[in-house]
Amino acid sequence: MSDQDQNRLFAYYANGQDARWQRVEVQLAPAVHPDRLRLTLPDGAVEEWPLYVLRRLPDQAGRASILLSRSDDPLSRLSIRGKGPVDHIKKLAPDLLKRPPVENVGRMVKWGLGAIASVALIIFVLVPVMADQLAEFLPPEGEKALGDKTFEQIRVALNQAGAAPLPLCTAPAGTAALEEMRVRLNAEGDLPYPLQVHVLDHDLVNAFALPGGHVALFRGLIEAAETPEEVAAVLAHEIGHVAHRDPTRDALRSAGSIGVLGLLFGDFAGGTAVLFMANQLINASYSQAAEAGADEFAHEVLTDAEVSPGALGTMFARLRDKHGDAEGIIAHLASHPTMADRIEAARVAAEASGVETRPILSEAEWQEMRAICGERSYEALPEEAPETMADAQPEPVPDTPPHEVPEDVPSTPPVVGVDGREDANTRP
Amino acid sequence: MILPPLKTEYVGDKGALFWLALKTGALTVITLGLYRFWMKTRLRRYYWSAIRPGGAPLEYTGTPWEKLLGFLTAVVVLAFYIGVVNLLLMFVSFSLFQGNFVAYAMSFVGVLPLIFFAQYRARRYVLARTRWRGIRFGLEPGAWGYAWRAAVHWLITLASLGILWPRMAFALEKYRVDRTFYGTVRLEQGGRWTMLLPAMKSLYSAAAISAVAGVMIWSSDNPMWALAFLLTGPWALYGMAKWRADSFRLLTGAKRMAGVQFQAQPRSGRVLGIYLGGYTLAYLCIVAAVVAVMFTLGMALAAGLSMNPQAILEGDFSSIPGWSATFFFVMGYFAIFVLWGVFTHVFVTLPLAQHFAEETEVLQPELLAKITQRARDEFAEAEGFADALDVGAAL
Repeated sequence: MSDQDQNRLFAYYANGQDARWQRVEVQLAPAVHPDRLRLTLPDGAVEEWPLYVLRRLPDQAGRASILLSRSDDPLSRLSIRGKGPVDHIKKLAPDLLKRPPVENVGRMVKWGLGAIASVALIIFVLVPVMADQLAEFLPPEGEKALGDKTFEQIRVALNQAGAAPLPLCTAPAGTAALEEMRVRLNAEGDLPYPLQVHVLDHDLVNAFALPGGHVALFRGLIEAAETPEEVAAVLAHEIGHVAHRDPTRDALRSAGSIGVLGLLFGDFAGGTAVLFMANQLINASYSQAAEAGADEFAHEVLTDAEVSPGALGTMFARLRDKHGDAEGIIAHLASHPTMADRIEAARVAAEASGVETRPILSEAEWQEMRAICGERSYEALPEEAPETMADAQPEPVPDTPPHEVPEDVPSTPPVVGVDGREDANTRP
Repeated sequence: MILPPLKTEYVGDKGALFWLALKTGALTVITLGLYRFWMKTRLRRYYWSAIRPGGAPLEYTGTPWEKLLGFLTAVVVLAFYIGVVNLLLMFVSFSLFQGNFVAYAMSFVGVLPLIFFAQYRARRYVLARTRWRGIRFGLEPGAWGYAWRAAVHWLITLASLGILWPRMAFALEKYRVDRTFYGTVRLEQGGRWTMLLPAMKSLYSAAAISAVAGVMIWSSDNPMWALAFLLTGPWALYGMAKWRADSFRLLTGAKRMAGVQFQAQPRSGRVLGIYLGGYTLAYLCIVAAVVAVMFTLGMALAAGLSMNPQAILEGDFSSIPGWSATFFFVMGYFAIFVLWGVFTHVFVTLPLAQHFAEETEVLQPELLAKITQRARDEFAEAEGFADALDVGAAL
């Protein structure tokens, strides 16, 4: 093939002015103007395209064809086919893959900031203010329905197997001990709905309250506590949140803000919003005032029940020693920046109360409570939980021997994670 | 001079599309969704350029930055609606009905006109950024008119138990096509809605048979009725493919563009085959991918656990396998999500586009030479509302 042949080919040309698709003769780098393409149109007219203005349109289908445009003219197009000519053009044109500059940067920045400002205003101001107001007017039945629904969602989200809700621990003796603790605290006051205390079979050292009288303790928290008074103190604190309707406000807030966040991220992987919501509720960071209010509530309840309010401080101190003040991203009990103040407040309350304390549970009852998940009693049907690699729940058959795992329970277990478990009774 | 009809070439390639969709899908996950504007733009460029009526490729000239800007604009407006209105609905729903179903239902009904609005605007943007033979398409403004018409037509269609579906399909298509331009020339949708009735034949008969059989199962013991009822399932599937192919053929045949006409002959059997075969293949590929992901995850976990027994015994590092398991779990979830999109592109969307393109011809193409360029429709808001509400459909 001579140079002459290689440099002459036929292509299709659109002038960008009318809808003709014209067959043109193209001379690549003709001798007179080696830095140009020379197009000869069917009517004999000639056009010259400098090689440096040639751009190739990206992401085009078709292996052996390219569509060329000019950087100085947004409309005209040249379609070249055939492997030989295409490769030749690629060699000749220096800036074939150069991108056009991004337009409208100023507007983009303006609207970007506008979008951030409007979302921030809605999530941090409008929705919280509205949620606080609306929470006052939500009737008890509605609050309870909201809590029931949310509790179910949280249990499903926490079970990494995905399908079935996280099992509740319901060993009869342990449940009886828990019930005795609840009665002794006598903290319900005039709640318009029954208080329901659950234990979730999970390693998290945490507890949370939900609208409509739900309080949930994680097994990890009961195992981490060294005395029943510490558990009772946490329970009293959470009941404080229920009594002050903090979770209701929080749930309404999430209802408003989750949709907005979903809007921002686009539901590029469905269901992420639900996970986020569950996480948000468990790790609910209530305001300082709300935490202080719940602490104060707990101090009073504990004093009335002849338990030292200092137990709350002991539990906080234990959490702080384990996680440190700043690290407690997992347990909201431990995450508060003013932890030291709260421990101090509990100590002061303990001194001021001056009550004669008596144990909230007997040693036997305490051991039963710690074994509340030990019987592996499942509320959910075991076969509903599919086995996956990420599923570290023990076999749901009662007589299965405990998993053999290294002697350890993580001090800060992950929200959704895999770790072994041990029989609570064998802990030192 | 009379020219022969322009046949449509299709040069799309499953392998190339697979890599493009995989790459852009993975980037979308890694960037927490931000790359989705680039993903959509790049996929559109590919799909458009694969379709070549008379050898001239369609060209998509939209840019990801435009889409991003449009999205930001829509967020400013929609964040208020979604945040405040959803909160109020949730409150009302739990106060009065003790459940969130009503909130979701009301939220959906409230957002419906907005969805139609967004769909029309998205179409306007996409047409304004589509060229063929160097000439721009365009769509006249008219989104609110479309939104209320669509809402009314949906109500009528629901009230008629779906019998008037072709009436709605025709009316909305006519509204859109009659406002569509190619260069300076306005398109026109001819025909009447009743011409679509034959395309509904199979769906109508499937619905009628299942209704009769349902009643008869209830009132008689003859097992033949149960069999008839079961058979209406596949029959209805065929009916949907038939509707898809035949309504396209009838509507395309009745479109006019300054004397230029069109002819399409897609086959319902082929459409049904692409749907059934394509989704089956995509499903099998996903199952294979899940097995591979689980296997890798298991290996990684096993390796992770056996590599630091000392650390695990010491306690502090024991959370590492937990976190890594979470990481693998989340990544596996996203991987499956992305792969499903990739496989449906390759096995369903591309073959469908190919079939419809290859069966469509442009008649009287000599009249095209008189069509001239139209001005650029700036429309900086792009299809932001459709992106924000996630109603951009497949493409």
